[in-house]
Order: sequence, then C-alpha cells, then structure tokens
Amino acid sequence: MKKLYSNKLVILSLVLPGVLLFIFAVLAPICLSIYYGFTNYTGMGSFDFIGFKNYNTLLHDSAFWISMRNSLFLAIGFICIQHPLALITAAVLDKLGGKGESFFRCVYFIPNVISVAVIAYLWKFIYNPDFGLLNNIIKFFGGKGDINWFNYDTAIWAVLIVLIWHGFGWGMLIYYTGIKNIDTVLYEAAAIDGATSIQTFLRITLPLMKPVIQVNVTMAVISALKQMETVYLLTNGGPNNSTQFAANYLYQQAFKAFKYGYGNAIGVVFIIICLLATAVLNKIFEEKDVWDVSSKKKKKVGRAA
Amino acid sequence: MKIKKLAATLLATMVTSMFTGCGNDGGSSGKSSSSNSDTSSNVSGDETVTLRLFSNLPDRKTGQGLVEQMIIDEYMEENKNVKIEVEALDEEAYKTKFKAYSMEGMPDVVSIWGQPAFLDEVVAAGVLEGLNSADYADYKFVEGSLDGYTYDGTLYGLPRNTDVQCIFYNQKMFKDNNWEVPTTYDELIDLAGEIKSAGIIPMAMDGGDGWPMAVYLSDVLYKIAGSDYSTIVSNAVKNGDFSDKNIKKATELLKEAADAGLFQNGYDSQDYATAMNLFTNGQAAMFYMGSWESSMALNEDIPEEIRSNIRAFTMPTVDGGKGAATDIAAWNGGGYAVYSGSKVKDEAIKFFNYMYQPDKLSKYGWENGVGMSAQDQSEYMTGDETELMKQIVDIVNNSTNISGTPINDCGPSAFKTSIESEIQGVSNGSSSIDDFLKAIGDSCK
Repeated sequence: MKKLYSNKLVILSLVLPGVLLFIFAVLAPICLSIYYGFTNYTGMGSFDFIGFKNYNTLLHDSAFWISMRNSLFLAIGFICIQHPLALITAAVLDKLGGKGESFFRCVYFIPNVISVAVIAYLWKFIYNPDFGLLNNIIKFFGGKGDINWFNYDTAIWAVLIVLIWHGFGWGMLIYYTGIKNIDTVLYEAAAIDGATSIQTFLRITLPLMKPVIQVNVTMAVISALKQMETVYLLTNGGPNNSTQFAANYLYQQAFKAFKYGYGNAIGVVFIIICLLATAVLNKIFEEKDVWDVSSKKKKKVGRAA
Repeated sequence: MKIKKLAATLLATMVTSMFTGCGNDGGSSGKSSSSNSDTSSNVSGDETVTLRLFSNLPDRKTGQGLVEQMIIDEYMEENKNVKIEVEALDEEAYKTKFKAYSMEGMPDVVSIWGQPAFLDEVVAAGVLEGLNSADYADYKFVEGSLDGYTYDGTLYGLPRNTDVQCIFYNQKMFKDNNWEVPTTYDELIDLAGEIKSAGIIPMAMDGGDGWPMAVYLSDVLYKIAGSDYSTIVSNAVKNGDFSDKNIKKATELLKEAADAGLFQNGYDSQDYATAMNLFTNGQAAMFYMGSWESSMALNEDIPEEIRSNIRAFTMPTVDGGKGAATDIAAWNGGGYAVYSGSKVKDEAIKFFNYMYQPDKLSKYGWENGVGMSAQDQSEYMTGDETELMKQIVDIVNNSTNISGTPINDCGPSAFKTSIESEIQGVSNGSSSIDDFLKAIGDSCK
C-alpha cells in the first residue's frame, strides 16, 4: 500500500482532478479576466484591445472608490463592532450553561439560517419610512417617525447594521466553539487564585482565542470585500451609489451597462485588493507576540490559516 | 510490476472517467444539434420540430405571459409536429442570459426591446434575423411603432405593446378632498402641497429602480421641448453633451417636484412593489407608472373601493413649453425577434408571424387587460372595459403627438445605467444639476 502511494502515476491520478478543477475553475477565469480587462468587449460581437484605458477609467471612477470606502467601513464595522460583541456573547454563553445556553446559541444563529433574500426584504420593511417598524416605534414613543433611513447620507449605516447583524451568528458560533476547546483546568486554577470573571476573560480566554480571532478577522475582511447579495437585494447600491460595493458594481457594469471589458478590469483590481488584504492580515498576525499561558513564555504565533 | 499495473489502471480509469464526463456533454449537445439540423431539413414534413422561445415573461398564468402562452398552445395545437419550449426569466436575468446566449447560440425566437439601450449592441453583434417590413403591411401596426426596431432600413423585430406614461390617481380621494386634476405643472406642485398637508403621500414613485424617474424627466422634457424632444435627446447622446437648456430645465422641474414633496419620503430607495402598494393601499393619492398597470382596475387583491376608483391623466403642460396637453409620453418597448443562426429559421419565422396576426397578441392582450398593443385594437373593444382602460384609450386616441423612446433608453447601456443611478442623486440633492448632466454626458462617450 505504501509503495502504491509512492508511485508517481498514482499520485498524479489522485492529484489531477483537483489540479484540473483549479486550472479550469479558478486560474483560467482569472487569466481570461485579465485578458478581457484590456479590451472594450461589450459581451457580444467583436472587440478591440484598448491597453490600460479601462484601468485608467477605473482610477477616476468615483462609484468604484465609494464602493471601496464602503467595503472598508464594513470591514471596520466587522472588526470593531461585530467581532468584539460576538466574542463577549460567546464567553457569556459559555458561562451560562444549561438550557439557556443552547437556547441563546440558537437564537443568535437564526439570522444565518434565514435566506439572504428574506433578510433583505425583512429589513426593507423595517426601514420603510411610511410603514416601517422603526418609524412606528418612534411614533409610539411620541416622535414624528418620518425618518428616511435610506437617505443618501445615512443609507450606508443602515446597510452596515444589517450586514453586521446578519453575520453576527457565524462569528459568535466560531468563538463559542473556540472557547469550548479551552481546557477548563485553566479556569479552575484561576478561580483558586481568586481571579475575577473579567480577569479570567482577559488573561485566559482572550489570549488562547488568538488563533480563532485571526481566522475570524481574516474571514470578516474578505467577506466585507466580497459583499454582494444583501446589498444587491436591499438597495442595489443606491441611492446614487451611496451603498455601492465592489462586487455589485462589477455586476452592474459587466451585465447591465454591457461594459464586460470594464467589469473584468474591476474584477482584476478586486482580486489584487483581496490578495493584498489577506497578505497584510497574515503579516500582521504573524508578527504578533502572544503570551502562551501553558508554558508561561512568550512565543511567536504562526499564520492564522 | 503488479503495482505498476494497478497504478496504470487507476490513471487510465481517472482519465477515462474525466473524458467520459466531457464526452457526454459534448455528445448530448452534438446530438441536439444534429436533431435540430434534421428537423430544419424537414420543417414541412411530419418530423417533430422543436422551437425554443426565450421570453422575459416568467409569469405564465396572468397578464402578458398568459397571452404569450395561449398563443404558443394554439400554435402547437394547429401544428402538431411543432413543439415549443419556453425559457422565461425576469427582465434583468433575461438580459444577462441573452448576452451569454449571443456568444454561443440563442433560442430561435427571443424577446427584445426596440430601444437603442438594448438593441444597438444586439444588432451590431448580428444575432437577429433581418425581416422584410413589407411583409407586415397588413398587420395593422400603429404608425411609427416599427421605427425603434429598424436599423439602416432593415427591420430586426416587431413591437408588442404601446406604453403610455400615466399618472394614476384615486378619483374618490380627489373628490372627497376637492382636489382637481392639475392642468399645468405648477398646479401639480401646488396640489402636492395640498395632499401632503392632508397627511397623504401625493405621488408614489419607484425611485429605487431609477428608470421611472428617468421617464419622468423625459415626460417633462417632452412638455418643454414638444416635437424637438427626439432631436434634442439624440444630439445630446451623440455628442455626450446634455447641457441643452431644455434638458436642464426639465431636470430643474424634476428636482422642484422632489423638493416640494411630490414623491413619498425615501422614494429614491423604494422599489416598484413598495411604491405601487402605497397607492393601492390608499396611502398615496397618485402613482407614476406606465399604462401596463391599467390592469390594477381588475386586480381583486386591491380593495374594491380603490381599484374601481383608479383613473389616469398624463403629465400636465409646463408654462412656456412647446408640448400640448395632448402630446403624450408613449413608446413601443418590448417585442420579439428571430435568431439569425436558428437551425429551424423557417418555422421560427412562421411562428413569429403567427404571434403577430392581429387576432393574436393584440386581441388576446386586450381581452386580458394587459394594455395597449402596438397594433390597432379598436375592433376588439367590447364596451365592457374598465373605466380606466377606456380613459387610456381616449388618451391615445386624442393624442396629437407621441414622444417615442424615453431618454434613458435612447443611448448605449452604459448611459442607461448611469442616468438611472445619477438621477437619484440629482433629485435628492446629493449631486448638482450640472454634475448630473456632465456625468450622464460622459457615460455616452
């Protein structure tokens, strides 16, 4: 058996499907994107090579930069609001125990189980200025209740709240699983030493959760960059591109404006930005020193994923 | 040696199974194409001909989709050897897949839009079959309705509907509050103030989609520029310069309406259904939409008190404008065409012509309340039509001129996408009128 696995033909036959899948489903489309990014292809008929014109246009395209700004806002929102809350909730849930623990674990995960289309329409109705839940609550408490939540200046915040709320369950569940994997002996020892809950959280839970946090933060940043479906259904980037995100903008340009070449140029820049973001995050996490509680020594932590 | 044999067998199995996977696919498509070519050579024979229809009408049970399906069923009944397969997607998904099909071969009969924003690229790609306009002389098409489908003297499709832009209103609500149907744009703005002060939304607008506001802009521009409308718009699109004073004035009037609160709060992010619901629930006094929504008067989901009181008027005149009250914003939008590379082209054209026989699309459309056809429908009127339908027929019959294609559909798709997004910004004040005109001009270049 060992001999069989060391045979190159066998290795080739086992690796080949995966390699081919990668070549045809990932590498070839990226290469084609790069190719079409240099053309004025509309998606139909013939096309010409136009050099870097698409990229030059992209540099001056305010809608694209708004979409990048929005992705950045979302990533910050994920890292600074969603994840701290998710981590704290997971820690509290862990301490809750019993039926309450499983009940709240399910409750917090519900938004992730519901389809994105339903979520988008649900929030559309919540935000509606004429008959929405939010304005009706304001009216109930004596306010005027005529706020247009999706107005040009505030629409992006309204969208960010939905996205942060929607992704909360995933983050919480991963943190929860991470916390459950921490050896309870450490908590018992801390309790004997007279550590408070906050001290335990800061000195034991948080340091040991670093690898989980790294994975979660990387995933959050990438999902902020890739955001498409919720925004597409909620506002479709409007009003006037104020809630635009790169993937949605790419779709609009390639498939609605018949600027397939330009859409591909956006795609190429988008891939580069995603790769850069991942590389930067890995670099940041790689250089962080953490306190290894078990050995009481400082040590380097490897890559997140 | 054994291991080598086993390894070779494994590799061979893997490679074979992969090629089998690809081979099956190719085989099936090869098979279908060969069956297509068989059928094309036997169109008039007894062999089954399979026609593929690609439609933008996914609802096959009501409205226009039902009419289309009725004609298909009748055709198959009369031509037992013909089988028509329908693939229907909603408009946006349709347009996306249409593009994909254009690269690898399309279904035989397809839905199209006779407007530059859609048809320019499609005709340039050479995927539509040229038709002989003389063949359709007896089909009772309304004068000018084929213009949008004609390029360099060749006809590339036929229109299905005549769309009239209407301001639907709740007649009872107007009467109860002593509101009058406005005859000038200033009166419309004043009326908005009155309705608003009564705690009602003056006009429900689907501003989230962008295109209804672009149609509003066209409607106002037509009232300002009159018969010069098409020249002004086509010059602006051609030169990428929208600084014309008439276009600027129309944009100012749109902004004035938005500032005066004519539209509902948050109109620029609300979709078609939400806007329509505001009107059909009695929360809004007016609704800005095309005549295809005249079937609201027959829709039993709408409370009887409201649906029986829906009436319509058209954009009132603008002070100093050249457009008369009877010059209306109307156009011929959707229609059908035949794929130039169809393997069963003769049968496809035969079916296509069958659909447009005056007693088919036009008659069935009228009977099912889906609005005005692009063909003369007067002989199908029974007198039992709803008041709203009669009113729209009167609007068309009394019209002195029609605008033609709305501004957003007059340029390339990039222009359409741009204007439908930028118009939200100019109406809600987040961008200036000059910036708006410049941005839409740039998108034409």
